[in-house]
Amino acid sequence: MRRSLLILLAIGLASAAIVGLTSALARHLCAQHLVRPGDDLAWLRREFGLRQSELERIRQLHEGYLPRCREMCERIAASKQDLQAALAASNGLTPETEQKLAEVGALRAQCQAQMLRHFHEVSQAMPPEQGRRYLTEMQRLTLGFHEQFEDTMSRNEAGPHGHR
Amino acid sequence: MTDQSEPSDRLLGALVRAARPAPPLPPRFREAVWQRLESAQAPRRAASVAEWLDRAAAWLLRPGLALAGVAALLLVGTAIGVVQGTNLADERAKQQYLTAVSPLTNR
Repeated sequence: MRRSLLILLAIGLASAAIVGLTSALARHLCAQHLVRPGDDLAWLRREFGLRQSELERIRQLHEGYLPRCREMCERIAASKQDLQAALAASNGLTPETEQKLAEVGALRAQCQAQMLRHFHEVSQAMPPEQGRRYLTEMQRLTLGFHEQFEDTMSRNEAGPHGHR
Repeated sequence: MTDQSEPSDRLLGALVRAARPAPPLPPRFREAVWQRLESAQAPRRAASVAEWLDRAAAWLLRPGLALAGVAALLLVGTAIGVVQGTNLADERAKQQYLTAVSPLTNR
């Protein structure tokens, strides 16, 4: 009986190992081959079932948007550096650091507005239903973080900021 | 002699029974009897589990069945991996798009 029990246990363990190893290998190979590193739009095509003509139009929009996005990123990064330098140079919050803070905030708002404009243009290049879904998903993914953060602040009445 | 002794034997038997009355049964006598019977059968049950394990082990170790089992496990593992890999690839592709278009995304 003991020998049979050991055999059955060994069979169970070997089975689990075979399934575990095979699935890990298949997952790795599949994930590696399905993602094309150079193609930013592969997800859009798959997720929203886009036709070639729609994809080409979206690719044009995407490639036109990227340099503007990059420029905005550089401006935000430079503005943040200025803010950090101003904060390091002053002992407290001075009018200058307040102005730098406002500049960073304004640049972020511009960046978001530009991004939303791009999402809207891309959604217009999709079939109507898919376009609506894309726009909702993009707004959730790009603005959702801030909303979630603000929600937490307003719900937490006894929070450190004391917002009500 | 038999004819004469029979009535006296019966009488004698009745007298003996009356002189030694049967003691009352202990409480829960029946239950105790069944418990003893069941415990007497228990080793047989243990033996049947051992037999079942032996049979199962022998059945699983048959070469044809073992080969088919390994093939089935490989298929199951591959199917699970393909589903997980597709989801993972999808998630990576989504992150790649978001990284490209939105520097402010919470990742």
